[in-house]
Amino acid sequence: MSESRAARLIEEAAASHKETGHRITVRTAKTPDIPALAGLLVRLKRLNEEFDPLLKVRADVEKQAVTVLEAAVQDPRMLILAGEGTGPDQGKIVGVVRAALRDRVFYTPEVEGVILDIYLLPAFRRKNVGEYLLAETVRHLKELGAGIVTAEFPAQNQIAVRFYAKRGFRPLNSKHAKII
Amino acid sequence: MVEVLPRSRPGTEEGRKSDHELEEARAREAEEETRGLSERAVDLARHFAGKIEVIPKVPVRSLKDFSYWYTPGIAQVSREIHKDPELSFELTGRWNTIAIVTDGSRVLGLGDVGPEAALPVMEGKSLLFKYLGGVDAFPIPIRAKDPGAIIETVQRLEPALGGVNLEDIASPKCFQILDELQRTLAIPVWHDDQLGTAAATVAGLLNALELTGRKIWQTGIVLLGAGAANQATARLLKALKCDMGALTVVDHHGILHSEREDIDELMLRNRWKYELALSTNEARARGSLKEALGGADVLIAASTPEPGLIKPEWISGMAPDPIVFALANPSPEIWPDIAKGAGAAIVATGRSDFPNQVNNSLIFPPVFRGILDAHAKGIPDLLALEAAQELARQAKVKGLTREHILPTMAEEGVFPEIAASVATKAVELGLARAKRSREEFLQLAQARMARPKELARVLMKNGLLPPMPGQEVV
Repeated sequence: MSESRAARLIEEAAASHKETGHRITVRTAKTPDIPALAGLLVRLKRLNEEFDPLLKVRADVEKQAVTVLEAAVQDPRMLILAGEGTGPDQGKIVGVVRAALRDRVFYTPEVEGVILDIYLLPAFRRKNVGEYLLAETVRHLKELGAGIVTAEFPAQNQIAVRFYAKRGFRPLNSKHAKII
Repeated sequence: MVEVLPRSRPGTEEGRKSDHELEEARAREAEEETRGLSERAVDLARHFAGKIEVIPKVPVRSLKDFSYWYTPGIAQVSREIHKDPELSFELTGRWNTIAIVTDGSRVLGLGDVGPEAALPVMEGKSLLFKYLGGVDAFPIPIRAKDPGAIIETVQRLEPALGGVNLEDIASPKCFQILDELQRTLAIPVWHDDQLGTAAATVAGLLNALELTGRKIWQTGIVLLGAGAANQATARLLKALKCDMGALTVVDHHGILHSEREDIDELMLRNRWKYELALSTNEARARGSLKEALGGADVLIAASTPEPGLIKPEWISGMAPDPIVFALANPSPEIWPDIAKGAGAAIVATGRSDFPNQVNNSLIFPPVFRGILDAHAKGIPDLLALEAAQELARQAKVKGLTREHILPTMAEEGVFPEIAASVATKAVELGLARAKRSREEFLQLAQARMARPKELARVLMKNGLLPPMPGQEVV
């Protein structure tokens, strides 16, 4: 990506928010959070759709998001986090994390924390906020017994590639797809 | 922005019609008017087969003179420039030569018609550049769609040019292309659909604010349309210390805000609009233009020529003494008398047959005259802003009124002043290769802008420029 005016503006905006620190609080999600979290999850799925036609969202995506989250908040092997705004945005759900614990039967460390979905509303998508949300996710996964953390996202999502690479993540497995 | 010939003004008969009927009748009239001009334009294009040509600017007494203009003498000029490429601005016509570059992807209101179909439009622009600004502008439509290919093509043309005018390139790729070329070239690159229109708009706005006793940082501004012109207007407003959080942008999906359904799509496909969504509308207001206009001081519409897009009752819902710029051509988003009837204090349009024409021709000829006279290395938004501010000042020479917030094209004395201010600002910003005083720049601009008109007059008089067909006997 070139150092275009847009990129500069975004960096400037990010810098101007730095001094305020993270403008969200992060906590484990509860059932009443589900409608708001589902809305954010759907936004993420629609964003994924932009990267690849194989990620075209289903017509019932909204219903699915609710169903998946309802099951997940009850599942001890799943982690659902809610990011809540502060100040004037107190009480407003502005971010979501969906992660799962997986056993690695052939490798060590034996428990993997997989970040399946992570989404922040754009106004909160500033450097420190995303970083904080990720750090909180990693902390929770570690507490749940994970010894390695991975993140799944569309291969074409260069923004995510850069976000994770900056924080020490590197490609591990590849998933290649074709319609049959 | 097109010049439209004067037309009949609203009469008493029109007064009995409803606003809606009036709008439809006006739109039809505007269409018919354009149709008449269109037919004549095709006949004239066929007759003249091109609008510009290259003519010598040095005396040629005999072929012997070519020993200076060409070999063998010219080799030494070449050697000098080889030693110092910057001398190409002094020893050749590079300083006054620009390319008008387009890929033909958004020509006028025609859309993507391709480079060949863009050529007559670029020729016309070239004629305007010469006639109004004394600038030698070469029409260069290129066969490329990909922004990278367009960028590379222009980069490779740089050694021949003193500046570049990008024209009729679709949004959002026009932003990326302008950014990248401004960053990588050591000559000014301008996109007239963005900056020309925006600078004229901001000039008119500054005077309208003054007339209605407003300060820009306390003014609630609504932009309708988030294309090239209004995005550049937003940039200039930011440079003017306008409160961006209080700015509201509305497009065909409604009010732009950071939680709109399409926000992530914008992040990927139109980062400039995405950034606008994040930096404006701090209150995260939602809804349509109607909601956006409630209590607003200023509306700047640069959208689609759809009369009736803006309802008079929405204007009535604005703050007292509202300012309305309806800039779509040929039919403004709301006609001036309807806007005034609904309470607008000051109305501007893109048309020459109403007062307050926001016309990019007020800006691009003097801007290029100024930057070329300064042999400028670039043209940051601050220079566009300087042009806007000088244009606003110049409107005061003839006197500022609600019907005269901008000079008209007929106020010719205005343009060298803008050129001189732009050139002087370029020196101030350390962007000028040729450093002169404002007075010197003014004299240069006056002479260089007057010459093409004098040339045309003389050539027409002695028949070297042929008459218009049908008017052979004067």
